[in-house]
Amino acid sequence: MQHLGWNKALRGRRDDLTAIKRHNVRVGGRGAAPMMFAHGFGCDQNMWRFVAPAFENDFQTVLFDFVGAGGSSLDAYDPERHSQLSGYAEDVIDIIEELGLTGVVFVGHSVSAMIGVLAALRRPELFSRLVLVGPSPRYVDDDGYVGGFTAAQIEELLAFLGENPMAWSRAMAPTIMGNPDRPELGRELTDSFCRMDPEIARAFARVTFTADNRDDLRRVSHPTLILQCSDDIIAPLAVGEFLRDQIAGSRLVVLKATGHCPNLSAPEEVVEAIRGFV
Amino acid sequence: MLFEDAPCGYVILTPEGRITHANRTLARWVGAPQGELAGKHLRDLLTLPGRIFYETNFGPALSLQGELEEVALDLATGPSERLPVLISARALRDAEDRHIGTRLILVRAAERRNYERDLQGREAEAIQRLNDEKSTAELREQFIAVLGHDLRNPLASIVGATRLLRRETTSDKSLRVLDMMETSVDRMADLIDDVMDFARGRLGSGISVQRRSASLEPVLRQVVTELEVAQPSRTFVCDLALTEPVSFDEGRIGQLVSNLLGNAVAHGDPRSPIGVSASTADGRLTLSVSNRGEPIPPAAMERLFQPFFRGEVRDSRQGLGLGLHIASEIARAHGGEITVRSDPTETRFTLNMPCR
Repeated sequence: MQHLGWNKALRGRRDDLTAIKRHNVRVGGRGAAPMMFAHGFGCDQNMWRFVAPAFENDFQTVLFDFVGAGGSSLDAYDPERHSQLSGYAEDVIDIIEELGLTGVVFVGHSVSAMIGVLAALRRPELFSRLVLVGPSPRYVDDDGYVGGFTAAQIEELLAFLGENPMAWSRAMAPTIMGNPDRPELGRELTDSFCRMDPEIARAFARVTFTADNRDDLRRVSHPTLILQCSDDIIAPLAVGEFLRDQIAGSRLVVLKATGHCPNLSAPEEVVEAIRGFV
Repeated sequence: MLFEDAPCGYVILTPEGRITHANRTLARWVGAPQGELAGKHLRDLLTLPGRIFYETNFGPALSLQGELEEVALDLATGPSERLPVLISARALRDAEDRHIGTRLILVRAAERRNYERDLQGREAEAIQRLNDEKSTAELREQFIAVLGHDLRNPLASIVGATRLLRRETTSDKSLRVLDMMETSVDRMADLIDDVMDFARGRLGSGISVQRRSASLEPVLRQVVTELEVAQPSRTFVCDLALTEPVSFDEGRIGQLVSNLLGNAVAHGDPRSPIGVSASTADGRLTLSVSNRGEPIPPAAMERLFQPFFRGEVRDSRQGLGLGLHIASEIARAHGGEITVRSDPTETRFTLNMPCR
């Protein structure tokens, strides 16, 4: 996987690749009903490695990488399409259509929760339920709205990313993945975990942290489960509550887990919560 | 102690990222008493971007695999002060290979960060300048193409006019003047052709050729004859062994050979013969022009095929320096290339290309 220089033409190769190839799609499970897992900002489908397998008996599990992450094809990055979350939502729809799925249970973490919401609003017939893990429709505070960050803080984040391509570098050595809960799996060598192409990461960060999708929440008609962590600086409790209030009929479950990635730090809790919903 | 005053910040973390031990160096950087650091979460020592990055990326990676290399982050060393650091971390595992803690070091990276920032700035500048140069070069080449094209018309008028005058004139002197005019016009036409070839080559995708299967030998002999007529004092020796059919553009290959021969005449020892040899083997054509004389200086060797490069020429009438460049473009258009070897015994230019 090479670093994609910003000065190269980035477009034009999308059409050569299927959605399945573009997004490194992996399908598993023995069930009939489809459950799709979408990763959050900064990582890739490996985030779900402790959660997805729990559903393999009853569902057909679909995992994928957003463009720029994991094993996705960097050629498929389109600065225009991917300058908005709706572009990423289109990618999700492409994958679902290519697999010929309907009634998908969409499990989205962090920013991909909102991507899922947008996809479900655009093509409601493709989805049956939404599970939003650590979601946020807007990260910047506003009048009467607590997003968790000031505009200045977000600018600081984006400036930091601009100055430090290394922070998000793909040049990290192959990493060794541990499986503390399943030691029988041993440790595997993976060279794609949690690495994003630095240019794409910077652009994706801007799209994510400056997005405002609050107005879209009211239109959500699918049954929705919101999983909120107890001490998440990126998706604070106030945001979870806002989402529950805006999405009709939605359920908010506050997990005992802390931090932003309960799918990694407390997978059993996440699995339990989702099981109770599907 | 190794740990306490190490030249880096050193922390031991729980698998969840909480500090159990932090060394004196780190305490000093962060400006807190050592005792205060134990129990704190690592992310509390970072600036906001670092905390976000920790939550979305670095933390998950650390908790899953307990290993990281060279993560660039900022320590918050005061309300608005920061210290750029590079972080590397390694898992501590027990006998059952379970993750029981993490060793993490922090190395100051302020200088490196400044250096990187400089490099980025300079790269951006260089790219900007490159783009500016490219647009200027394109404009220049378009101008050359237009100029060359526009010069042909007045030239054609002069050709027509000389022909007319030739029919009407009787005086010897006038005829000689007309001869001179025609020679000059021919030269101008050649120069314009060269310029147009050059411009087409640069602006387009190289010189275009129409390859046809034909006999190469008569074309070579024809070119040699033309030069023998133009340079009666020079000797040309041909050694042709063309056993396979060749597909080539007659005009262009003729031009290529003529350019090489012209160079040999201009730069070679006038007392020695100029050699032309051609042979085919295994589907490839090898054609070379050789002369004796002073070898090409090493400095010139690197730039021989560049456009507008001119070496030392005895002949007072100089060309534009496009001959070799165009010859190499013609070679390229035929899927081949021209190479050169030059030493005190001989200078040899060789065209190597596929026969078809």
